[in-house]
Amino acid sequence: MDDLIRHKDQINRHLQRYGVKFGIYKNGEFREQFFPFDPIPRVITAEEWDSLEKGLAQRVKALNLFLKDIYGEKKIINDGVVPEEFVYRSPGYMAECEGIVPAGGIYSHISGIDLVKGKNGTWYILEDNLRIPSGASYPLIARMLCRRCSPATFQENHLLDNRNYGDLLRKTMDSVNTGGLNVVFTPGRYNAAYFEHSYLAEKAGAKLAEPGDLYVKDECVYMRLAGGDQRVGAIYRRVSDEYMDPVAFEPSSLIGVPNLMSAYRAGNVAVLNAFGNGVADDKGIYYFVPKMIKYYLGEEPILHNAETYLPFYEEDRKYVLDHLETLVVKDVAEAGGYGVVFGDKMSEEELARMKETIQAEPRRFIAQEVVDFEDMPIVMEDGSVEEHKADLRAFVLSTPDDTFVWPSGLTRFSRTSGFIVNSSQGGGFKDTWIESR
Amino acid sequence: MDRITLTQKNRLFWLGRYAERVYQTTAYMMKIYDRLIDNIDFDYESYCKNLGIPCNYTDAKDFCLKYLFDGSDPFSIRSAADAMLGNGMELRSTLTSTTLAYLQMASTALDEAAASDSPCVALQWVLDDIMAFRGSFDDSIHDEGTRNTIKAGRQVERLSLFLRADVNTELIPQELKMLLFRVDRADLDVDRASYGVIKGEEAGEKHDRHLLLGSVEGLIRV
Repeated sequence: MDDLIRHKDQINRHLQRYGVKFGIYKNGEFREQFFPFDPIPRVITAEEWDSLEKGLAQRVKALNLFLKDIYGEKKIINDGVVPEEFVYRSPGYMAECEGIVPAGGIYSHISGIDLVKGKNGTWYILEDNLRIPSGASYPLIARMLCRRCSPATFQENHLLDNRNYGDLLRKTMDSVNTGGLNVVFTPGRYNAAYFEHSYLAEKAGAKLAEPGDLYVKDECVYMRLAGGDQRVGAIYRRVSDEYMDPVAFEPSSLIGVPNLMSAYRAGNVAVLNAFGNGVADDKGIYYFVPKMIKYYLGEEPILHNAETYLPFYEEDRKYVLDHLETLVVKDVAEAGGYGVVFGDKMSEEELARMKETIQAEPRRFIAQEVVDFEDMPIVMEDGSVEEHKADLRAFVLSTPDDTFVWPSGLTRFSRTSGFIVNSSQGGGFKDTWIESR
Repeated sequence: MDRITLTQKNRLFWLGRYAERVYQTTAYMMKIYDRLIDNIDFDYESYCKNLGIPCNYTDAKDFCLKYLFDGSDPFSIRSAADAMLGNGMELRSTLTSTTLAYLQMASTALDEAAASDSPCVALQWVLDDIMAFRGSFDDSIHDEGTRNTIKAGRQVERLSLFLRADVNTELIPQELKMLLFRVDRADLDVDRASYGVIKGEEAGEKHDRHLLLGSVEGLIRV
């Protein structure tokens, strides 16, 4: 480990060499910046991973079954397990997807599950990301460069190899491909995760398509290529649902593929992840995931949610209003670390205002007990080591035959004293080691 | 070539142009820096006029700094390097990350030159990295159409700079020949009138410099 720390600057120079960046919009301007890397990895033991792997696969299987059910028979609503308000009033629910079963019956092919490890050693799920979770490319390229900079570290430590993510992604796309090219669809260079889009396309051997490269004819998708257009069988899209098809969704979208929804509905192209997944990673639905696991799989959840309250329910609302100063409140419509407020950081006036908002719009928020999650050591600019909060985004890939948890993940840390670790808020990242024995 | 999109083909051409622009103008500015050491005057106003770019500089030193490093100036080398890298980034799956890294390194070297009190050291890295990019590209890209598209872009830019600045005139016939060689093999949409002018010039006809420049610039329709 010391050897890796000694090579910190070298690793970061290599990351710069490969353009490992993310973009942020600040004050209306787009800026790209290098994603700061910390050489001290998060280490997960083989035993710990065994439980995490099973728990993550279990959770994603249940979420896929939930999506199939919600856009199909709706048994979970009819059986009173999930109230219909939480489904139909969710901003992620898309009526256009009713009755559509995607190719292979899978909805969330690439799932990003955010977890933290409490100081009591228990892992808690913070969030499910089933739309377009990003971040796999960073630990993928960081591992390659760390091995290059400090080979001794990787001879001495026995780790599961994470460098197969490109192959896993390709297999996932192949498993639902309806006949044609595999394509990664990006909104373009000025997207925050553009590095990732282009890097994953390269590693998965897929074509990188930008707005204007794809079109629909006779309910099939084609890609404009210099040597003649070719049919597309699977689209790993990195664009939000509403912008993907201006005919079916947001008419003002200039980056979408007109009539894509008709090709999708006809089963002539696979879209990864499926449209309408937002209903299942809604922060309000999060509360019900342990119930889904029991309902669909007949199993006890292996991984735990953070203690969560839904102000929608009167009893929970009363508790939230009485204990707001000790809770973290999340706006269900926000993502990327935005819309998260900590009660203990609010003034009396802000608390009063928040209480009013919760009472007026109870469905808009969830409240959680603050998980005192572990601090991880970070090497600072001057070489000193400080402890900062860190979370883990695990990636779960689903095919019609299998659910596979990538033995790695994106460990993000806060570079300030707070709890917000998102890259868009200035955080950095670490490699995540899974010990093989 | 049938494996890339039309957008990517367009970007390949412009990547060739911008990489050449950064290379040629950086090399030129290194010579200018050397002249300024000996207090030899440099007529930056004529340089701007020849290249057809606005001359908003107070003196030669101001020109050197801003023309090289000012990212807010769309005609600066910094802006050309951003466009070079931007096109490259959007071609990662065609170029590969290994080859693209050299463009990133050239761009980073230009930043380092801007922060240095002896910029020519880092400017040399800009040239080295672009040459390394070309070598890596040649070594790893086997598709003839792809190779010839980026090289056609390079030839157009090189000739455009030579003709505008009226430099290296002795090299122009061979560069024209090389341009036609690339265009004939790149399956590009070509303006036939421009092609005819260039073909004639290459065969020994003498055309007005502006007509030739217009033909070089208008040869490839992208």
